Amino acid sequence: MDHGDREEGHVSSVEEVVARVFDAEPDSLDASSSPESVEGWDSMGHLNLIAALEKDFNVSIDIGDAMEMVSVKRIREILLDYGVRA
Amino acid sequence: MDVSADESTERSLRELIAAAELTRAPELESLMTLLGHRLIRGGRLAEAADLVNSASTHGVRLGAAARQLAQAQLRSGDTTHAAVTIREVLKRDPSDVEAQRLLYRLLKGAGQGVEAHGALNRLVELDPTSACATFAYRERPKLGEIAGRPVRIALLSSYVLDPLVPFLDVECRRAGLTPEFYIAPYNQYTQDILSPASGLYAFGPDIVFLALDLEDLFAAVRGLPSIEELARSKAEIHGTIVALVRELRSRSSALIVVHELALNSPSPHGILDNRRGDGLVQWTADLDRDLAQALTAETHTFLLPLRAILARVGLERGQSRKLRYMARMRHADPALRELARASIRYIKPLKGLTRKCVVVDLDGTLWGGVVGELGPEGIQLGPAAPGIEYVDFQEALLNLTKRGILLAICSKNNPDDVLPVLRDHKHMVLREEHFSAMRINWRNKAENLAELAAELNIGRDALVFLDDNPVERELVRQMLPEVLVVEMPKDASQYRSTLEDLTDFELLAVTREDEQRGNQYQANRKRQALEQSSGSLDQYLHSLEIRAEIGSAQAHHVARLVQMFNKTNQFNTTTRRYQTPDVQRFVASTDRHVYVLDVADRFGDHGLVGAAVVREEGDAWVIDNVLLSCRVMGLSVETALLTEISDAAARRGVTRLAGEFIPTPKNAPCADFFGRHGFRADGEAGGTQRWVLDLDAGRIETPSWITATAKRAT
Repeated sequence: MDHGDREEGHVSSVEEVVARVFDAEPDSLDASSSPESVEGWDSMGHLNLIAALEKDFNVSIDIGDAMEMVSVKRIREILLDYGVRA
Repeated sequence: MDVSADESTERSLRELIAAAELTRAPELESLMTLLGHRLIRGGRLAEAADLVNSASTHGVRLGAAARQLAQAQLRSGDTTHAAVTIREVLKRDPSDVEAQRLLYRLLKGAGQGVEAHGALNRLVELDPTSACATFAYRERPKLGEIAGRPVRIALLSSYVLDPLVPFLDVECRRAGLTPEFYIAPYNQYTQDILSPASGLYAFGPDIVFLALDLEDLFAAVRGLPSIEELARSKAEIHGTIVALVRELRSRSSALIVVHELALNSPSPHGILDNRRGDGLVQWTADLDRDLAQALTAETHTFLLPLRAILARVGLERGQSRKLRYMARMRHADPALRELARASIRYIKPLKGLTRKCVVVDLDGTLWGGVVGELGPEGIQLGPAAPGIEYVDFQEALLNLTKRGILLAICSKNNPDDVLPVLRDHKHMVLREEHFSAMRINWRNKAENLAELAAELNIGRDALVFLDDNPVERELVRQMLPEVLVVEMPKDASQYRSTLEDLTDFELLAVTREDEQRGNQYQANRKRQALEQSSGSLDQYLHSLEIRAEIGSAQAHHVARLVQMFNKTNQFNTTTRRYQTPDVQRFVASTDRHVYVLDVADRFGDHGLVGAAVVREEGDAWVIDNVLLSCRVMGLSVETALLTEISDAAARRGVTRLAGEFIPTPKNAPCADFFGRHGFRADGEAGGTQRWVLDLDAGRIETPSWITATAKRAT
């Protein structure tokens, strides 16, 4: 079943979370998206993004990891360490 | 997946749906959702819209699919249909965050600035996170200026308080203010205050919040400071803050609000803390008490009770160590939201936004139940549940009068039913003398509120309206948007906290005049009549989307009918108290017709709220009794009932419809029932008035705002 058929409230990809937090068009995002390319992804925005990732994927992200999550690609890689495929 | 396989999947889905529709199977929702996603992905939006419509006629809610449809419609540029879809989703689930976000985009795209601001406010209410509040904050400038009163707010802090800004911005917008913020550079509050050329003074604030963290002022508090160290530090901290306040005051006339100093963690002394001279809990409380005293002596300066504010969310939810370590922040989202709500309590009175009068409904608001039906002794009000929750609520209202907030009544009732409660009910906290003005009548509440404001000589924007009935609330919201209409919870045990959560009753000082204001108004209480503004009332009634279903009473209606015959006093044309055997006989007989009326509107289902008994008398039909619950009075649903009766009579070839009316001390609200439907008076005998209508003269028309359906017996 693809993500379109998931229940409400569940989020299936890092791009979706980034899109929601920074109100970006999902289609404008890809693995390379980062603070440089996404409007609003500043230091405060980064905290909001971490909070959203923690909530949506039900994990608690270590500070070192949180500071490393500087692109969609890196976020996806690091989340794998938490057993999350996103 | 190849095309033919895809088509056959769709065909099977449609077959399954058709089958599920017939059997009302529970899997209908999942099946329709699957098909919906398929259609949307295929770009077949019109078909998807048809599906969502058909779902709602089958009582199925397609939340996620409908939202995706709206998104797709928006993307394809079809804003008209997107708007319809989104509003439909929100009507079914007003707390759907994503739909609310879409609604905002749509309003923004349509250039509806005021509505878009309102949609952002609602969005943050639904999703009170930093991410959402920040989104709203960034969107505001894109919406163009709206005519909000400006307010200039400065935040000075020893830690990172920037995330408070988006939350405070929302609170200001909700109050109709357009805020400008100044945030002192990180930990430079001292330089900002001391330097006359600082950014703070260049900004020219109306209000300055000084938020210092105890640990930043006194790092040793993290260890186990000695008694001597504690005493010395207390004096130092106290001296530092008072000196900063005086310096600030010498250069600015802003309102100054200093945050209390609170411990961020449990005492390192553990359970021994309050048994020791160097315990930290008591020391912090002493520090804040001294500070409060010192600041009371400074003009226009307040101490914000941070500890009590944070206690509302608790250390657990209100703090995030991660935010502290990563970003030198102190407060997590729930604490920031609470802090913003506490902060607006200072800003509103500063900008003259204190509301002056609370207008309360009676039945269901000040007490449980309908006094006109139950009598003064039957209502829920007293020292035990149910009833104690209303006593508690009344006490909180009474407390408001002690700071000069007025109380007024706006109730659909007969004064003769209500006044005995106000005067004599043993457990009433609020008495006649506490109300500065009253409107106890059967007229529409928006008119009554406008009259109350005129009588009390205050603006309509000074009124707060508390009513348990969502229909009345919506009427007032639409007709008097400047009145604060509080969304009362369904559960009366939450009434008191709902009132206490309002941030609209704060005063920067209470005067003797404030304390006595209520009495003054009562002394010159006058009643003025205002004319009905029927144009907007008509609009309101249409917006309710009233549906009336009229049918013949069946055996399973008997219990509810008996209850109505015996409880309904106000809209009851003959007050004949039929009992179970009577009603059973009527339902079974052929020369009596019993009609039942079910009413629903966009706020929900009222259930069986009306009934009529008709008996055949020769060539005429006689309306023996008509009843209507007070819940639906004023909507003209009784006309729909009468339309169906007269149509049924006409179908049987009856030419004359008669009606009986027996006046009682309570049924004045329906005294004109026959008269206003075209019946003429036809004499009176033994206290019973008789009214007559010739059916060939024309049909009784149901008002256009009611969708009436007849469920005829087969």
